[in-house]
Amino acid sequence: MAAKALPTSESLLLAGMDLTEEDIERRKAFLEFREDDVERLRGLNDVAEKYADSVIEDLYEHFLSYEETRAFFKDSATLSRVKKMQKEYFLQLTQGSYGLSYIANRIKVGLVHQRIALDVKWYLGAYNFYLRAVMDRLFEGHTKKPNGAIAVLRSLMKLVFLDISLAIQTYVRTIQQQQAAIRELSTPVLLVRPRLLMVPIIGVIDSQRAQQLTESLLGAIRINRAKVVVMDITGVAAVDSKVANHVIQTVAAARLMGADVIVTGLSADVAQSLVALGVDLSRIKSVGDLQGGLEEAERMLGYQVVPLAERPTAAQRP
Amino acid sequence: MEHEEVRIRIDRDSDIVTARVAGRELASRIGFAGSDLTIIATAISEIARNIVLYAKHGEMALAPSRQSGRRGILVIGRDCGPGIPDIEQAMRDGFSTGKSLGLGLPGAKRLMDEFEIASEVGRGTTITMRKWLR
Amino acid sequence: MPVPILKQGGVLIVSVQAALTDNDLVALRDDLAEKVGRFRSHGVVIDVSALDVMDSFATRTLRGIAETTALRGAKTVVVGIQPDVAFSMTLLGLTLDGVATALDLDEGMDLLAAPIRRRGDDGA
Repeated sequence: MAAKALPTSESLLLAGMDLTEEDIERRKAFLEFREDDVERLRGLNDVAEKYADSVIEDLYEHFLSYEETRAFFKDSATLSRVKKMQKEYFLQLTQGSYGLSYIANRIKVGLVHQRIALDVKWYLGAYNFYLRAVMDRLFEGHTKKPNGAIAVLRSLMKLVFLDISLAIQTYVRTIQQQQAAIRELSTPVLLVRPRLLMVPIIGVIDSQRAQQLTESLLGAIRINRAKVVVMDITGVAAVDSKVANHVIQTVAAARLMGADVIVTGLSADVAQSLVALGVDLSRIKSVGDLQGGLEEAERMLGYQVVPLAERPTAAQRP
Repeated sequence: MEHEEVRIRIDRDSDIVTARVAGRELASRIGFAGSDLTIIATAISEIARNIVLYAKHGEMALAPSRQSGRRGILVIGRDCGPGIPDIEQAMRDGFSTGKSLGLGLPGAKRLMDEFEIASEVGRGTTITMRKWLR
Repeated sequence: MPVPILKQGGVLIVSVQAALTDNDLVALRDDLAEKVGRFRSHGVVIDVSALDVMDSFATRTLRGIAETTALRGAKTVVVGIQPDVAFSMTLLGLTLDGVATALDLDEGMDLLAAPIRRRGDDGA
């Protein structure tokens, strides 16, 4: 059995984007990016070196003529530095080597763009401008054999789309991470009285969020030794039978830990539709509104809430 | 870690515990955490229990799994037991009521992300399950 | 290996350890039934906090134990189901309906001491 190679910085970068080498191969296969494409692109390299500077000039003239993209190039030092990097980036498209280090490079560029908060639409628009600029120059050089130009262009398009899919991966991943963070933050479990927890649920409940919610609640029941939980679903976007079943499951799990759950915010209309759909609501103890639910929970725990003004005075007490 | 497969012979009920402990360990190394570990161990327990109850002998095979960039765990339960005559019926058995001799298969299916069952009366049963890291 | 059963007043306490075989569980059921009768216990607390998994078999057995002891006049409370075990059980569809549950030993003893005030353990 061969010894395991140490992870390289490139493979770590890929792993950080939830990408594997297999994944990259699958993308290339789907784009039908093959050896003949590599050959064609390598063959384009000389021409690319020749027109690189003029394409870059045109591209940056384009950026500077639009307010949104001009903002990224505040001074001439930044501008010339970026132009240089951009030229290297485009020349890599025709270097003929599209393995792990090429991929890692593309990801790094995607990360940079994402860090400076360049919106995806400008990134895509820029790439499109580049493709058009190249296309024009390509056909200029192949006037006698336009079919040759078309073949090269097709190969270039495959590679460019691979690049774009990698750059966008960074954006996608960030969104996923943010969603996870939002999920974490948006399911608070509050201890409102000793042994009494309240969970206000807001937004959309999918099965992932439902699991996370249930786990948080059960953990909180244990830590706080809760005997009653008030789960408010007033803010839940759409209570369908799937959501109802998640709620029923959560109630059942809490019960296994010795805690009762009161569900509030389940309107009569929604309850009726759920029953019509065959959902067994008998497993849920439901109280119309949050206040009523909290009062019921307090009663169950032996509390009795009496407003100060109404308390009998010593003289009035029997 | 790619080629790590764990096989556990299932011949008696103490092997069920061995299988689920091994499952929990492997799942943890793959990167599963929290309740997913218990979920995987429970699914293994259900399938291994079926082997002990109905086939008397069999094996559980546990391995890391990889597919389109996702990582997860593969759990296979194999036996040369009597087989399941009506798979649809076995999968339809709603919640375990405790009174029926339900095979716990619908439950195991709910626990895992992927669930496949192949069975032939008189030849045996193979159950293949996968759970992916989120 | 027989599971130790402790007597505390009118309550019998059992702590289920992780690696119980099926035979151990059957023996436990019979042992409990016998002791409930002998001591005229009114309650049984089964502590499952050491169990890392509660599958359909374990659940059926616990329910069976509760039914057997109920026939002898004692109420059973299962305590200590861990959060992720509870979650897995609901995914599996196991409910322990008809069996009282509580967070831990203390809560279980409380529940047995004041049965009237407590919410129904019949699933309602």
